[in-house]
Order: sequence, then structure tokens, then C-alpha cells
Amino acid sequence: MKLKVLFSFFLFIVAALIITGAEKAMYNPTPVLFKIPYGFPKPATNIFANNSLTEEGFQLGKKLFYDGKLSKDGEVSCGSCHQPFAAFSTYDHDLSHGINNNFSTRNAQALINLAWMKEWHWDGGINNIEMQPLAPLTAANEMGETLDNVMLKIKADSVYRRMFRNAFGNANITSSQMLKALAQFTGSLVSANSKYDKVKRGEASFILPEQKGYEIFKALCNSCHAEPLFTDNSYRNNGITLNRFDDIGRQKITGNKSDSLKFKVPTLRNISLTLPYMHDGRFAYLDKVIDHYTNIDTTIKNLDTQLRKKIILSNIERQQLLLFLRTLTDTAFTKNKRFLP
Amino acid sequence: MIKIALSFFCLLSFSLAYPQKTKKENRIIIHFENRANGKKIVLNDSIYSTIFDEKYAVHKLKYYVSDIHFITQKKEKVIKEVFLIDAAKDNTINLLMPEENIAGIQFLLGVDSLLNCSGAQEGALDPLNDMYWTWNSGYVMFKMEGTSNSSPADKQRIEQHIGGYKGAFKTMRMVKLFCIKNKEITIVMNLDKYWDGINKIKIAEMPVIAAIGEEAKKIADNFAGMFCVAD
Repeated sequence: MKLKVLFSFFLFIVAALIITGAEKAMYNPTPVLFKIPYGFPKPATNIFANNSLTEEGFQLGKKLFYDGKLSKDGEVSCGSCHQPFAAFSTYDHDLSHGINNNFSTRNAQALINLAWMKEWHWDGGINNIEMQPLAPLTAANEMGETLDNVMLKIKADSVYRRMFRNAFGNANITSSQMLKALAQFTGSLVSANSKYDKVKRGEASFILPEQKGYEIFKALCNSCHAEPLFTDNSYRNNGITLNRFDDIGRQKITGNKSDSLKFKVPTLRNISLTLPYMHDGRFAYLDKVIDHYTNIDTTIKNLDTQLRKKIILSNIERQQLLLFLRTLTDTAFTKNKRFLP
Repeated sequence: MIKIALSFFCLLSFSLAYPQKTKKENRIIIHFENRANGKKIVLNDSIYSTIFDEKYAVHKLKYYVSDIHFITQKKEKVIKEVFLIDAAKDNTINLLMPEENIAGIQFLLGVDSLLNCSGAQEGALDPLNDMYWTWNSGYVMFKMEGTSNSSPADKQRIEQHIGGYKGAFKTMRMVKLFCIKNKEITIVMNLDKYWDGINKIKIAEMPVIAAIGEEAKKIADNFAGMFCVAD
């Protein structure tokens, strides 16, 4: 009798141990180390500090990124306007297409080395990478969906339910988990394997015109497009005129008149793939961008002090600079299977 | 037999996990009541009027209350929880209170800058609550929507999304209330003072505020005067 009780007690303990063990085995995400490439600074803020980077989180973020279901008509995904082969910008489109043949009012930015930024978007309006997806998801001319509907669609999908459980360990899917998963994917888009990087690592060398172009770059462009990220992430008025959307840029975010027509200095990494250029894609080719800096109206109020002196290049120097800029193309990044759908 | 053993085990573990509370907790119950023209606000129904005799109806009314402090003789106790008060819902909060008598209560109308920058959050700060600006990151501290014949905006709408957490344009405001006599109190938010505070606001002049700036700041400066403890 006593033995029986003891035995059943023992059985119960064993069963309990097995059950808790199984639960633990179900949620066991694989940590992923975020590597800082050779020569890169440590990011100013660690975007993964409150969002542990895991393989399961990254894969979930990738699925969300390429899923048209997140938009109102089921057709437009994040990846529609952030195409891998265009370094995650929209190739050869000044503005991108949203639902119902709508156009966005800004050129889709390339998603490159986002982990080194403190603010995102052309005007820096986004203060945390996790909150960025809310903007395109809910904008009527982009993905046009409500956050409530997005959550309903995700919760109704058994594949998502499994992936969320594997990434975050509980059955209750939240908007916060979705945003964190997307940040794990987009924050992992690191480009640091261009010819330029190989030269810096001593694995390749510039041909002479590239070297000459690099010297021109260092003399004339590096103060804003600072190496090795090729941006200092500042906001500057580079002399482009107000467009038809009355887009005043940074001023809309800060409310300060002195920020009128200031936009974020974009990275020059993969610049050959991210045409057209400027916040509204007004310049179709890099040549036109250089033309702009050559012909800049130096009387413009608020014009950045760095641009008060016109950039005048000979034809040969111009070709050398363009050749150097091509060494910033990183096909190991654009063709990285890990980032492709 | 096994059943008996199991139930015995369950009982044992239960009693271990939940020890009986011998000390009674000192709690305070706070009801938030939203009023206009001396009456409790009923959404989509009653018509209220401002000091300028502009008539309006309220369709949506939500605001954040955070950083609740109890002011006592000794030290202050801080409640690190954010509450979203929504006129469409019952707004009763139940809080653990310090042992000694409290002289007053202090809270932040809105959420502090740290929480505005902390990325994806849950509960009251979940963007699903429709209190988050997607294009200029940050929470709307106070949101009121409605209609008014005096509004020159499209559909005669009133749309007041008061937000901004940085520098000169920050809109969260500290509210201090004294004379807390009971352990169950009602904090009244008087919408009349929204239009008639330090700054006088005309619906005809600013029916829609949906960005940071001078207008939002003007409204925010009226926040502290909108709250009082009901007798």
C-alpha cells in the first residue's frame, strides 16, 4: 500500500520532468552572432539589445518581409519595393508602386547597414528600427493595411503560428513580436564585401583609375559620405529644390525651419544598383548627380556649408570617380542566399 | 490509488506555491471620469460647447497616464506602469499604495521620452491601440476626435492628436493633485479646460492638429489644468 503510493508519486515526478523537458525542447531558438565587419565601427546603439538575434527570429522576419499578405490587396510586400538585386531599393523607379497603382512620394531607400543608424527614413522620422515597418504597412499609398488586419491574417496562418512559437516561445502572437522579427531580418542586411572592402582588407587592389577616383572621393565627398559606411547619417540641404509634393524633409519631423529641405545623407555603398537618386529619384544617373554638384546654386538659403564650393571635375576625373563608386558594389550582398526569398 | 496520490501531490504543490497572505494589502482604486459641461462625456451622442460657444461632439477620446507617484511625508512611491484611458471603456485602476497617508498623487499625462524610443512594446503601448505615429515615431499623448459646426476642416471634423516628446515641442505634462482623502477616488478630466486653460483654443482656428509643433504645445500647456479630484 505504502509502496504503491510512493511508486505513483515517483511516476508523477518522472512524467512532470518529461513534460517540462519537452516544452523546453520546443522553444530553443538558435542564437545568431551579429558580426561587425573588418574596419567598421561599433554601432552607436545596439539594435539587438532588446531583441535577441536568433535564427528563428531572422527566418520569421524574412518570411514577413517577402509576404504580400501583409498588404491590403495581398500583392505588395516589403520586398516589392526593397528588391535584393537593387541592394534592397526599387530598381530604376523614381517612386515605388503601392496598392491600387498608387505611387509613393519618395524613392525607396536601399536597406544597407541599417544597424549603424540611429534614425531611419529620408527625414529620420523613425527613432527605432522596430517601428519602421508600421509606416509602409499603414500608408494608404504603400501597403495600405491596418495593423489589426495584419495581425488577424498572421494569426490565422498555421505556418506563421509555428514560426512565431519557434522564434518567441509562446502561442500568443503580438505586434511587438512581428516588428521585432522584421527588425532581425532588416538589421542583418550588412554589406561589407565590395571590392573597396577587399582592398581595405588587403585581398585586392584598385586599378589606377579607381585609385585616382578614390583620391577624388576622399578630397570632395568623404566629409558627408564618410567611410566606411559612406554616410555620416546626418541631414543636409544639398541644394535640391522643393518638389511637386512640397516635401520639406527633416523640417516636417523636427518642426524647425532650419531643417527645411534637409534629407539624410544616403550611403554610397552599392550606389550603382540604387538608381535613380535623391529622395524623390529625380536624377536618373550618377552623372546627373555629379552635374548637380557642379552646377549647384550656391546662393540657396540653408545650403550645406560643405557644398558652398562647387565640385568641378574634368571629364577624366569624373570617370575616375565613377569607377571608384563602382567598387562599392557588393554582389556577395545582393546575391546572398540568406537574404533572398 | 494513483488518483489519491496525484491529488495529494497537487494539493501539496499548490499550497507551497501560493502561501496564504496574512497581511492585507493597502490599495487605492482610481476611477478616471471624463467630463464636459459638467456631465460625463458620452461618445457620439451629446453636444458640448466651448467657452467660445462652439458646439461639438466627441467620437474618440484617449490619453496616456504614466509614472504615477504617491506623494507622502517620507518618500514617494512610483508606479512604473502605463495606462491608456479610453472614454469608450471603463477606466478604473487599482494600485498598491504606500503604508502612510498620502498627501497627493502625481502623474504624467503622456509617456516619457524613453518609452517613446523603446521600439515595439506591448500592453498599453502596443501600436495596435492606434496611439502611435508611424511616420514620425512617438506616441500620441492625448487624442480627441469629433465634429463641430465651427470646424472648417473636411467633414467638419475635429482631430486633435497631441504628440511630440522632444525638446521645445514635447507634449507630456506633469499633473499634481492633492486632497486625497479616500481609498477610492475619482479623477475628473474636464474637457472644458482643454479649450479654456492657460491658452484659449478656438475650434474654428485649429480643428486639426496631427503633428508636433506650436499648436500641439499650446494644447499641452492646458493639460495640467484639466484634472482634479472629485469631491
